[in-house]
Amino acid sequence: MSWITIVWSMNAAACLTLAAIYLVVWCKQRQVLAHLVFSITAVAAAAIAGFELAMMHAGTVGQYEALIRWIHVPVWVLTVAFVAFVRLYLHAGRPWLAWSICGLRTLVLILNFILTPNLNFRRITSLRHFSWWGGEMISMPFGVANPWGLLSSVSLLLLLIFFVDATITVWRRGDRRRALVLGGSMIFGSILAWHVPLVIWGIIDVPFFLCFAYSGIVAAMGYELSYDLLHAAQLARQLQASETELRETQERMELAANAAELGMWMWDIVRDEVWITDKGRALFGFAPLEKIDFNRFRSRLHPEDRESVLQALEKSLRTGAEYESEYRAVLPDGQVRWIAGRGQVEFKGDRQPVRMRGVAVDITKRKQAEEQTAHHRNEIAHLSRVTTLGELSGSIAHELSLPLSAILSNAQAAQRVLAHGGADLTEVREILNDIVSEDKRAGEVIQRLRQWLKKGEVQQHSLRINEVVEDVLKLIHDDLINQHVTIDVELGRNLPLVTGDPVQLQQVLLNLVVNACDAMTNCDAPERRLLIRTGTETRNGNGNCAVLVSVTDRGGSIPEEKMEQIFEPFFTTKEEGMGLGLSVCRTIITAHRGKLWATNNTDRGATFHFNLPIGTSDGEEVITNNGKGS
Amino acid sequence: MIAGPSPTVFVVDDYAPLRSSISRLLRAADFAVAAFASAEEFLAQFDPQRVGCLVLDLAMPSLNGLELQHILAKAGSLLPIIFLTGHGDIPKGVQAMKHGASDFLTKPVNDTDLLAAVRVAIEKDRVLRREHAGLSEIRARLATLTPREREVLEYVVAGKLNKQIAVDLGTVEQTVKVHRAHVMEKMRVRSVAELVRLTQRCGISAR
Repeated sequence: MSWITIVWSMNAAACLTLAAIYLVVWCKQRQVLAHLVFSITAVAAAAIAGFELAMMHAGTVGQYEALIRWIHVPVWVLTVAFVAFVRLYLHAGRPWLAWSICGLRTLVLILNFILTPNLNFRRITSLRHFSWWGGEMISMPFGVANPWGLLSSVSLLLLLIFFVDATITVWRRGDRRRALVLGGSMIFGSILAWHVPLVIWGIIDVPFFLCFAYSGIVAAMGYELSYDLLHAAQLARQLQASETELRETQERMELAANAAELGMWMWDIVRDEVWITDKGRALFGFAPLEKIDFNRFRSRLHPEDRESVLQALEKSLRTGAEYESEYRAVLPDGQVRWIAGRGQVEFKGDRQPVRMRGVAVDITKRKQAEEQTAHHRNEIAHLSRVTTLGELSGSIAHELSLPLSAILSNAQAAQRVLAHGGADLTEVREILNDIVSEDKRAGEVIQRLRQWLKKGEVQQHSLRINEVVEDVLKLIHDDLINQHVTIDVELGRNLPLVTGDPVQLQQVLLNLVVNACDAMTNCDAPERRLLIRTGTETRNGNGNCAVLVSVTDRGGSIPEEKMEQIFEPFFTTKEEGMGLGLSVCRTIITAHRGKLWATNNTDRGATFHFNLPIGTSDGEEVITNNGKGS
Repeated sequence: MIAGPSPTVFVVDDYAPLRSSISRLLRAADFAVAAFASAEEFLAQFDPQRVGCLVLDLAMPSLNGLELQHILAKAGSLLPIIFLTGHGDIPKGVQAMKHGASDFLTKPVNDTDLLAAVRVAIEKDRVLRREHAGLSEIRARLATLTPREREVLEYVVAGKLNKQIAVDLGTVEQTVKVHRAHVMEKMRVRSVAELVRLTQRCGISAR
């Protein structure tokens, strides 16, 4: 056996091996047709190698003619498969060229079987046997070339053009490696194939080696496909790695969420479906498999908080702002739970909200602690009010004794008028009217006292700060007279409303006024002047407006180092004082989200100021801060 | 009892309902009443000749009760003052009483207490004024004496005899007798004892 047989056989074997491998690959992944096409290509290339070897060993002209006739079958298969591969795998090459090649090649195949002995030869006159490059003796035909064979050459030319065109497309697409390896080998192979017509026309004198021209292409195709397979395998490994990582991240997330008692949720707005973690279900008291939609969620909200939650959600859906709220959820067993919700809306292009993701966390303990703190704060405030009232008892007794005195004297006057007989009814009527109005006045005083001494929940009202000032002046009026303090009041006009507890704010102002009066006890009577002023101020320079109240006295000034100390509990300069007044005031004002501070006047005395955020223009400014969402 | 002009009760209180109710009560008890909303208003219409009493609120803005009492005392007013006050003003009440207040009542005040206090005050005013009026009369008589007669009067009330007086004054007994007769006549007394009583009321010291 010479090298020729070995080489041609190895070529065929290599092609068949590749064909077998990719057939198996295709069976596993049927959707990738390129693998099947490649497999067919390789089989055809192997068949061509076989035919060529047989032709070289042909003993008779008849044998040779038959072999040439039948080699056209694998060549047809190979050509069509190449075209298909370029179209399917490279997504390149002009379709009309592809169809032309396939059509022409089919025509060549048909003519090949019609014409005798075949397409290439009109007749083969003899076979020439010779030894080629030290190999065994091989057969080469002598004969008259068939003019129809030109058709085969044309199809070969078209194939070359097709390959060149496809290569350029792939190159331009930026896939240069593929253009070089695949396109290059295809162009090179299809140029090499031109030896066939040259041999037939007797121009060159070599055996047919079409199988090598084509198996080069097959090898390049195999390389490319294996590259893809390797790449796919790599991707699969990466995918596996990222899947593991994802799972771990998910587990970590779940661990963190569970540790933080977080319930995570996602609301598909379009389909109105709520997905929520098990922890979240437990938070709201949903059964593990219960289907949740927005209305189910809504039904869990405490009736008092429902409106605010819906408003926050609506605002978030409208503006895309982060959703944030605190609210109470009522569980099916009646248990009430405080929940803080936060979330983010996802929009589709045209600002159409499609889903919302967020977390819910149980803040019942925090709320209870806050309530406890507020309770203590109110207790101290109440205690401080009772103390203040004790200090003002003279003033209050006077406030009550005035109407009572008037009532008594009026009633006794009436008795006397009536005792006289022939009473003047007009006078009696006037007296009774006076008694009624004075009784009402006494009632108001008592009402004020009751409010002042009332313990319990702090009320949040929208209120006018000027009314607070007027109420305090009514309470303290007589005390100011007795202390010879002249009071000047400058009330700002059209002040915005503030939110707060009227009694607690009165308490703060009263404390400041009493302190101011006490600070002036050593002044001469005409110097004892007190100024209460209300107005607005711009806070923090960011345009947030606040209502400002200031109390200015003309007593001594406060040493700079004590400016803050005076607000600490149990700091006092009075012999009988507990030192709670200012610290309670500051606690109250802070709870109202305001600020209380002191400054010294440029000439004499000090001024105490406090500010309060303006009313309820923005929902988020509401002190109760009842939130929304899940 | 000397019949004088009818007494008026002056009421000064800044709290209108109380002012009017007290006025009504007093009127119902047949007193003439004049009410004022402040110490200044009262002072503007004050006539020292008018008799009666003052019902005065202790705590008032600007001029308070004690200050009004002070001003009236300085002006030599005799008008008795009844103070009305709230609870807990005892120290001020004591101060008022020390300065000669007629009475001190706490609000709410009972009608009998108030009327009694007013009656007492009016009676006091009447007595004071009568005494005051007597004194003025004696002073007026004293004013008619010549300096010499005045000297003689001081010797007479000291219990000296005419002879001793004449020696002290460096004159004759007859002249002293004439002066003495003039004194007795001008002072409208019949006895030396009567003269002594009159001069004692005026605080004239004997020589």
